[in-house]
Amino acid sequence: MSSGDPGHALLLDRGNLKRRNRVNRLVEVSSTIATLLAVAVLLIVVGSVISKGIGALSIHFLTTPMGLFGDTSGGISNAIVGTGIIVGIAALMAIPVGLLVAIFTTEFASPRIGHPIRFVLDLLNGVPTIITGIFVYGLMVAGNKQSGIAGSVALAIIMLPIVARTAQEVLTLVPGTLKEAAYALGVARWRTLLRVTLPTAAGGLLTGALLAVARVAGETAPLILVCSIFGQGVLTEPNEALASIPVFIFQSSESPSPEAHTQAWAAALILIAFVLVLNVVARAFYARSRKRMGA
Amino acid sequence: MSPGETRTQYQEELDRLEASALEGLDMVSTALGRTLEAIEHQDVELAQLVVADDDRIDGRYLEVHQSLITLLATQSPVATDLRLISALLHVLKCIERMGDQCVNICKMIPLTGNEPPADQEMVKLILSMGAQTKTLISQAKRAFAERDVELAQDLVRQDDVVDNLNRECFRLALEIGDDADRREWAMTMLLAARAIERTADNAVDIGEQVAFVVTGLFREFEDASRPSA
Amino acid sequence: MDSRESFESQTMTEPNPEPQARAQRQGPAISVSGATPSPPAKKSRDVGNVQLKDLNAYYGKTHAVRGVSLDFDADRVTAIIGPSGCGKSTMVRCINRMHEEISGASASGEVTLDGLDLYDNAIDVVAVRRAVGMVFQKPNPFPTMSVIDNVTAGLRLTGASRGELEDRGREALVGAGLWDEVKDRLKGPGAGLSGGQQQRLCIARALAVEPEVLLMDEPCSALDPVATLKIEELIGELKQRVTIVIVTHNMQQAARVADTTVFMLNGDLVEIGATDKIFTNPNDERTEQYVTGKFG
Repeated sequence: MSSGDPGHALLLDRGNLKRRNRVNRLVEVSSTIATLLAVAVLLIVVGSVISKGIGALSIHFLTTPMGLFGDTSGGISNAIVGTGIIVGIAALMAIPVGLLVAIFTTEFASPRIGHPIRFVLDLLNGVPTIITGIFVYGLMVAGNKQSGIAGSVALAIIMLPIVARTAQEVLTLVPGTLKEAAYALGVARWRTLLRVTLPTAAGGLLTGALLAVARVAGETAPLILVCSIFGQGVLTEPNEALASIPVFIFQSSESPSPEAHTQAWAAALILIAFVLVLNVVARAFYARSRKRMGA
Repeated sequence: MSPGETRTQYQEELDRLEASALEGLDMVSTALGRTLEAIEHQDVELAQLVVADDDRIDGRYLEVHQSLITLLATQSPVATDLRLISALLHVLKCIERMGDQCVNICKMIPLTGNEPPADQEMVKLILSMGAQTKTLISQAKRAFAERDVELAQDLVRQDDVVDNLNRECFRLALEIGDDADRREWAMTMLLAARAIERTADNAVDIGEQVAFVVTGLFREFEDASRPSA
Repeated sequence: MDSRESFESQTMTEPNPEPQARAQRQGPAISVSGATPSPPAKKSRDVGNVQLKDLNAYYGKTHAVRGVSLDFDADRVTAIIGPSGCGKSTMVRCINRMHEEISGASASGEVTLDGLDLYDNAIDVVAVRRAVGMVFQKPNPFPTMSVIDNVTAGLRLTGASRGELEDRGREALVGAGLWDEVKDRLKGPGAGLSGGQQQRLCIARALAVEPEVLLMDEPCSALDPVATLKIEELIGELKQRVTIVIVTHNMQQAARVADTTVFMLNGDLVEIGATDKIFTNPNDERTEQYVTGKFG
């Protein structure tokens, strides 16, 4: 090797190649470990829930309402129904409003108004759910009674920024060229929105909605405040307090009886399964929607 | 629109211009025929007609030339199309010159007066040259239209005949030259023979262009002045 | 011979005060059989003349088009050439009033279609765009719609009756030279076609609403050479039916396709003339420099 050759001098190893390689290796290894750790945590959580709860899981568990206080012979059918009603009504409230907010900021507002709105939504997103709970308590429950509706309102407030922000992201992703194409054909603005923009963004909008639902399905703090003292049997009247899965988990885990604890784990399993499935489906819709628009 | 059908207008225009240019050869052939007739019968009026009619040949030259330039500017032709256009520009020039040669001959005819030709043999030689040249012209046209390189090369052989006849004329003119009465006539006829010989050379040039279009190579055909080694 | 002779003002037909009525004019009827329909018969055109008078266009404070006046004749293809940023796309977008869709953009001056000022307060912007269609640089078929739905989108979204849709869609596809290639997959996704086919689909979509003028903003710059030539061939056929204005940065394309060429520089109209004159013997020195590639 002609080390005296000036042309190749720049390419020679100055001795820090080995050190750089070692540093590279170190970073690679530590980031891999961190990732494995994170994945492990998820696996441990899900694993424990499954192993601890599987004992109480049965058809009886899913189809019988809770027993009287202290009685662990029942199941969580009323909690499942209750969660369904509360989250359902919350979705009906939050999704249309969130969608309209997103449409407003992307289609009609100037950037001067759009930015503050986005900021406000992000702030709302960051409000601790217990505070939302207290707010709804003061608004609807104090001087009145607990109700499923109050729970829905609290959950809707939590859902709104999630729906709005995701919808906003997706609507912004719709290529401007599509809107241009529609305008150039002589299609009016609102029609373009309805028949071109929204259908194109539909996948992503659905994603936002599903993610929001998955998020609030397990919100406990507000429900404890506004919808935790409910009657016997499977109740469906939203004006009354309804049972719900998160509240059931909370109350069962406070109980001294070990059977109640197992039941709490089982309910947690149901909840986590529901949330995981929703997340996976939501991501799939999002990926499909992006593919359509990226074409 | 079926696959492969692109630039049809351009292709049609190019074909039209080629046909138009080759038609010019027909016009030259007609002019040459009339010229020979004028020589044979000392027909001054026919000669004047040929001179006047050359305007049409010049007009054809200008029109097709301009259209070819426009085609070059607007269609960016390459490969065979480009060679074809270049060849056509060259061919047009040859046609215009051939027309001019006929005009030169016809301008000389009134100078020889209204008497019968002084030497029948000379006239026969010239008419023979002319007939042979007419054959050359139509063969050149066919060679170009059919892109037939062999046919084009054969033009050289045909041209040799014309060249030989031209040399005969020269020899004959020298003989007649001793006769003071017929000397002037003989010189005029010699000039006519030379004009016909130049016309035949132009036809060979057209043949060279055929080779250029087909092969992309330009080379002078071998002829009597450049015998093969 | 002054090439400008051919650009004297056309004698105006009496200005038609109802652009909506014109836009809903029926196309020629064709038989609905399984065989490939032949393209609609040529109709003589006395409509589709566009005139710009002292058009100025701005992006906020930037003066993008400076006092341009010119005529676009019917039955002709006019190409606008010029270096990037010379204002050609902006000017063309003023014709179908798409320029004003950009926030902060504005325009002043007169743009008339057959004598009718398109910027008049009484005019409906949406109707203008039905009379003046546009094809964009990157093909943009609607991804959620099938081929046939894409072609008829302009009709469906502006309230045409269901009965006409299939016929007019077919007619448009034939006119765009795409019928043979897609007749077996009309219900397939619009975005599933090749680039060149997608652009012809967009052309069909624009033609389906039967505009009088078709604006094309660099329609071939995203396509391969073969697709480009097919579309140029199509433009040659279409000019009998619509006035075509094509913006292109490809001079050879302008030379091949256009009857009239306009050269713009820094927002100004430098020269307008018959295409063969512009490319063989332009009047203006700047035009000469640009077309010979000395700058741009």
